[in-house]
Amino acid sequence: MFLDVLFNIDNGYLEGLVRGFKSGILKNQDYVNLVQCETLEDLKLHLQTTDYGNFLANEPSPLTVSVIDDKIREKYVLEFQHLRNHSVEPLSKFLDYITYAYMIDNIVLLITGHLHQRSIQELLPKCHPLGMFEQMGAITVADTSANLYNAILIDTPLAPYFIDCISEHDLDELNIEIMRNTLYKAYIEDFYKFCQELGGPTSEVMCELLAFEADRRAFMITINSLGVELPKDERSKLYPRCGKLYPDGLNQLAKAEEYEQVRMIAESYAEYKPLFENVGTNPGDKTIEDKFFEQEVTMNLNAFMRQFGFGVFYSFLKLKEQENRNIIWIAECVAQKHRARIDNYIPIM
Amino acid sequence: MGSLFRGEDMTLCQIYFQSEAAYSCVAQLGELGIVQFRDLNPTVNAFQRKFVNEVRRCEEMERKLRFLESEIAKDNDKDIVLVEPQEFCEAPKPKEMIELETALEQLEHDLQEVNSNKDALKKNYLELQELRHILTKATTFFEEQDRIQGGEQTVIQMDNQERIQPLRLGFLAGVIDRERVPSFELMLWRICRGNVFLRTAEIEETLEDPKTNIQVYKTVFILFFQGEQLKSKVKKICDGFKATIYPCPETASERREMGLGVMTRLEELKTVLDQSLNLRKSLLKNAGQNLKMWFCRVRKMKAIYHTMNMFNLEVNQKCLIAECWAPVNELTRIKLALDKGTELSGSHIQSILNRMETKEQPPTHHRLNKFSSGFQNIVDAYGISSYREINPAPFTVITFPFLFAVMFGDAGHGLIMTLFGLFMVLRETQLKNKFKTNEVWQIFFGGRYIILLMGVFSIYTGVMYNDVFSKSMNIFGSSWKVGVGNDFDFEKVTVFDLNPNPVVNHTRNEIKMYSGNPYPFGVDPIWVMSINKIAFTNSLKMKFSVIIGIMQMMFGLCLSLLNHLFFGKMTSVLFEFIPQVIFLLFIFVYLCVMIFIKWIKFVGSPDSTQCAPNLLIELINMFFFKSAADDDPCKALYPGQATVQKILIVIAVLCVPVMLLGKPIVLYLKHKRKSQIGQRLSDSGHTNPLAVGNEENSSDSAEGVDLKILKETPIGKGSPNASNDDLSHDEEPFDMGEIAVEQCIHTIEYFLGCISHTASYLRLWALSLAHAELSEVLWTMILRIGLGSGSTPGFVILWLVFYPWAAFTVGVLLLMEGLSAFLHALRLHWVEFQSKFYKGEGYQFMPFSFQQILELAENPDKI
Repeated sequence: MFLDVLFNIDNGYLEGLVRGFKSGILKNQDYVNLVQCETLEDLKLHLQTTDYGNFLANEPSPLTVSVIDDKIREKYVLEFQHLRNHSVEPLSKFLDYITYAYMIDNIVLLITGHLHQRSIQELLPKCHPLGMFEQMGAITVADTSANLYNAILIDTPLAPYFIDCISEHDLDELNIEIMRNTLYKAYIEDFYKFCQELGGPTSEVMCELLAFEADRRAFMITINSLGVELPKDERSKLYPRCGKLYPDGLNQLAKAEEYEQVRMIAESYAEYKPLFENVGTNPGDKTIEDKFFEQEVTMNLNAFMRQFGFGVFYSFLKLKEQENRNIIWIAECVAQKHRARIDNYIPIM
Repeated sequence: MGSLFRGEDMTLCQIYFQSEAAYSCVAQLGELGIVQFRDLNPTVNAFQRKFVNEVRRCEEMERKLRFLESEIAKDNDKDIVLVEPQEFCEAPKPKEMIELETALEQLEHDLQEVNSNKDALKKNYLELQELRHILTKATTFFEEQDRIQGGEQTVIQMDNQERIQPLRLGFLAGVIDRERVPSFELMLWRICRGNVFLRTAEIEETLEDPKTNIQVYKTVFILFFQGEQLKSKVKKICDGFKATIYPCPETASERREMGLGVMTRLEELKTVLDQSLNLRKSLLKNAGQNLKMWFCRVRKMKAIYHTMNMFNLEVNQKCLIAECWAPVNELTRIKLALDKGTELSGSHIQSILNRMETKEQPPTHHRLNKFSSGFQNIVDAYGISSYREINPAPFTVITFPFLFAVMFGDAGHGLIMTLFGLFMVLRETQLKNKFKTNEVWQIFFGGRYIILLMGVFSIYTGVMYNDVFSKSMNIFGSSWKVGVGNDFDFEKVTVFDLNPNPVVNHTRNEIKMYSGNPYPFGVDPIWVMSINKIAFTNSLKMKFSVIIGIMQMMFGLCLSLLNHLFFGKMTSVLFEFIPQVIFLLFIFVYLCVMIFIKWIKFVGSPDSTQCAPNLLIELINMFFFKSAADDDPCKALYPGQATVQKILIVIAVLCVPVMLLGKPIVLYLKHKRKSQIGQRLSDSGHTNPLAVGNEENSSDSAEGVDLKILKETPIGKGSPNASNDDLSHDEEPFDMGEIAVEQCIHTIEYFLGCISHTASYLRLWALSLAHAELSEVLWTMILRIGLGSGSTPGFVILWLVFYPWAAFTVGVLLLMEGLSAFLHALRLHWVEFQSKFYKGEGYQFMPFSFQQILELAENPDKI
C-alpha cells in the first residue's frame, strides 16, 4: 500500500522504540543463567546484567517474589504508558483496545473477591494498573449483572460488550465465569473488527493473532467445561466467532463431550494439530496450555517481520507478558526451592 | 612526547596475591590507576563468583545510602547539605565493612522509624484538618437542609394534618478528591436512582497527602438520604471512591463544640509533628555530613571486590592470581603499590609480579594531559591506534588548527574565536563543574585548547589573506599604483582591473601599475578594490591548497616508513613505501615543482601572460605523453620538459605493478622456503617441525603483530592457572589468496587515492573562498547600509544595523562556517592524511582506577 509511506509520520518513533524494547527481551542464555540461581538475590544480580537493569536496586533485602512481581509489572506499565502517551489516533485507540482485556480481568477479579468477602481496599492493589478505571472501587455495590451494567460499566468502554450478559441472576462463580467469557468473546470480536477496519499490515498481522486467540479460547472453554454442567448451547455462545474454527469447527466443538473429540476436531486444522500432539499432564510433559503459549510466542515473534503495522505493539506486549510470567515462575520455583519444574518456562528468543 | 608519538610499551603481567593481602593491594592499584585487569573467569556467572557476597553487601549499603540521599533530597532543606569529603577517602579495610554496615543499618532504621511516626502524625493531622473543614462547611449545608425540610414540612402539613413529626433524613459527611467529584455524583445518582441529595463545597487550601507529600485539592461533601439500605449502598460507594467519612454532629452547638476540640487537637498535633520533623532533620543533617564520604568508600570497596572477582584462585586457596596489562615504565610504581598494600594488610609474604609473554595485541595507552587529550580524541574517534603504531595526534596538534585556519582565514573571526577559547582555558577550574549536564557546552569545553589554537591560526591566515571581517588593512602601503596620471579619480572610479603588465591608456602614456616590489606580508590590500580580485585569490589559494595537501600526504608517507622500520618490515619498505613515494614524487610533487617554476618564470611580462601554460591541462597531458611545450616552445617551463615528463610518468606507472605484486610474491617465496626447511628437518628426524615452521613464519612474515615483548622467564609458566587464552591466539595459516586480494585492494586504494586526495585538498580553497565571500556579502548587504548613510541618521542606522550584522557574524560565520571548516579539517586528517600510514586497529587501555569509577558513579549519563 502506498499509504505505508506515511506510517512513520505518526508512528515511526514508537515503532522504533518498540523494536528496541523487543531486543531487550531475555534470551535463552539468560534463562539458562536464571534457572541456575540459588536465591532470589542471585536472580536480582543476573537481571541487573539484562535490560531490566537496576529495577530492583532500591529494594531492601530480603527480596520476595511479590516485590519482583510488582516491580516487573511497574516496568511493564511504564513502558506501555510511554507508548500510549506518545501515540495518536488510530494507534492510541489500538493500544486502548489492548487495555480492555486487563479491564475485563480486573472486573472479574473484583467481583470474585467480593463474593469471597474480601474488602475492596484489599482487592484494588491486586488489579492490573492498565485495566484501572475510575468507577472500579464501587463495584461491590452491584449484586446482579444488570446492576453492574447500569451503575458501573455503562461509562466504561466495556459497556457494549456487556449487553449479552445482562441478567437479573445473582452473581455466582459460574455466572462470573460465563460473564468473563462472554465479555472476552465480544471484546475479541470487536478488536478483530477494528483491526480489519484499519487494514494494511495491521489487519494482516493482527487478524492472524486474534484468530488464534479466539480459537484458543474456544478450545480452552470446551476442555474446561467438559465435566461441568453447562448446557451446550450456552457453551457455544461463549465461542468467539472470528477464528479459523468458525463456523464448522465451533459447531463441532459445541457438540464435543470428551477430550478425544476435541482432539479429533483439532486434527482437521493444520495449525492446531501439532499442538495436541505429545500432550500430557505427567511431569516433564507439556500441557496443552503451554503448547498454545509456545505457539503464541512464535506467532508474536513473526509479527515483528512486518513493518508499518500495529501488530508489533500488540506482539511486544504479549511477549513481555510472557516474559514476566517466566520470570515470576522461575522466581517462585527458586523461592520455594522447588526445582523440579523450574524448566517449565516458555523461552522466547 | 615519547608516549604520545607511539603508545606506551605495555606488558602482560601476572600477579600472585596473598589471600589476605589481595584486598589492600588491589586498593592501592586502584588509587594508582595504571593497571588493566583481565577477566580470568569469563564463563562464570555473575552470581557464582567468589566475592559475590561482598559485592552484594556493598550494593545493599549503596542502596541504604541512596535511600538517605533521596530522603535528603525530599526535604529540600537548605540547612541539610551534602558535605564534600575533606580528607582523602581511603578504601575501607575489609573489617571496617561490618562497622560501616551497622552504622548505615542503624541510620536507616532510625530514619524509617522517624518516617513512620511522621507519616502517622501527618495522616492524623490531615484527618483533623479535613474534619475541621467539614465542620465549618457543614453549617451552610444544614441551613439549606433545614430550609428544604421546612418547605417539605409545610407541604406535608398541608397534605396530612396528623403527621406533624417532620421527615428526618440520614446524612453522611466526608471529604473526597476534587477530581473524583463528577463521577462520584454520577455513580450516586445511578445506584440510588436519584434518591440521594449531594452537596459539595470546595476546600480552598491544598492539603498534603501524607504518603506522597503532594499537595492535593479536596472537596467536602455531605449526603442526605433516607433509610438504612441506601446508607449501606452509599457507604460502599464512598469506600470505592476513597472518600473519607467523618462523624458530624447534627446540631449546630455540638458542631461548634466539636470544632473547638478539633482546633485544640490540631494545635497539639502541630507541635508534636514539628518535633518529629526536627528530629528527622537532625538525623538527615548528620547523615549529610558523611554521606559523600560513605558513598566514596562503599563504591571503592565494591570496585575492589568486582576486580577480585576476575581473579583466579590458586589450587590450595592460599593465593589469588591476577592477570593485567600495565605500562612497562610503571612496573616499579606498581611494585611499590603492591608492597605498600601488603604492608597495610599486615601480611608477611610479598605479592609477586611477573611479566608474561603473549602473542595477543596489548592495549594502546597514551599518556595524556588536558591539552593533548583533545587532539587525541580527534584521532581516537577514527580508530584507536594499533599497539605501538605512530600516533598522528602530536602532528594533529599543529596541522589540524592550521588546515582549519586555511579554510577559516579571517583575522576578525579568528580573534573572536581566540578570545572564546582563551576564556575557557583561563577559567578552566571554575567552568569545569558548571553545566555538567549540558552536552553542547561539554563538547565546546572539551575542545577548548583546539578552539584556542584554531583561533590563533585563523588570525595568522587572516593576516596572510589580509582579511579582517572581509576588509583589508593597508599597513605597509600597497605596492600598486592605480592612477598615475591626474585623470584618475578614486571618488569616481570605484572598480578597476589590476594588471601587472604595463598598459597603454587612451592618452598613449604607458602606465605601470605594479611597482615591482611585493607587499611585505600576505596579500596586497589593493586587491580588495579590484574586479579581478576573485580570479587572483582563486589562483593563489588553489595552488596553495594543492601544495599544502601534497606536503601533508608526503609527510604521512614518511611516517609510514618509520612505522615499517619500527616493526622491522623490510618487505613493506621495499615494495610498499618505495613505489608509493616514487609515484607521489614523480607525479604530484612534480606538479608542485611546476607551480613554483610557473610562479618564478612568468613574472607578468606581456608575452609571458600569453605563454603561461595551464598546469592542470599539463598534468593531464603528461599521462598522454604530450606537453604544451610541443606546440609552442615558449610554453615550456624549462628546457627538455617533454622528455623529463615522459620518463617520470613511465617510472611512476611502473610502480603500480611493483606494489601490486612485489609483496605477495616475496611472502610466498619466504613461506615456501620455510616449509621446505621444515620438511627437511622432519625428514632428518628433528622434533616438532610444524611448530618451528610456524614460529619462524610468524616472526618474520606476520604483519602488524609486534613481538618485541621482552623475554623474561615468567615463573607463572609452570602454574596450572597460567592463562589459556594465549594458546588460542595462534598464528593463522599462510593464505596466498588472502594476501593477494588485500594487497590488490591496498594498491588500488593508494594509487587512485593519490589523485582523489589531491583533488580533495582543493576543499581548502573552496571553503576559504566561501568564507571570504560570505563575510563580504554580510558586510556589503548589512553593515554598509549604516556606514553609507549620512552622519546623523547614519549614527542611528549603524546602531540598528550592527545587531543583525553581529548576530549573523557569530551565528553563520563563526558557528556554522566554523563547524563546516572543522568537519572538513577532520576529514582531511582522517582520510587524506591518516590513510597514508595509520591503521587504527588497536583497543583502548582501560585501567582500573578509582577516580574514573567514582566520576562515572557521580554522573551515570556521561559515558
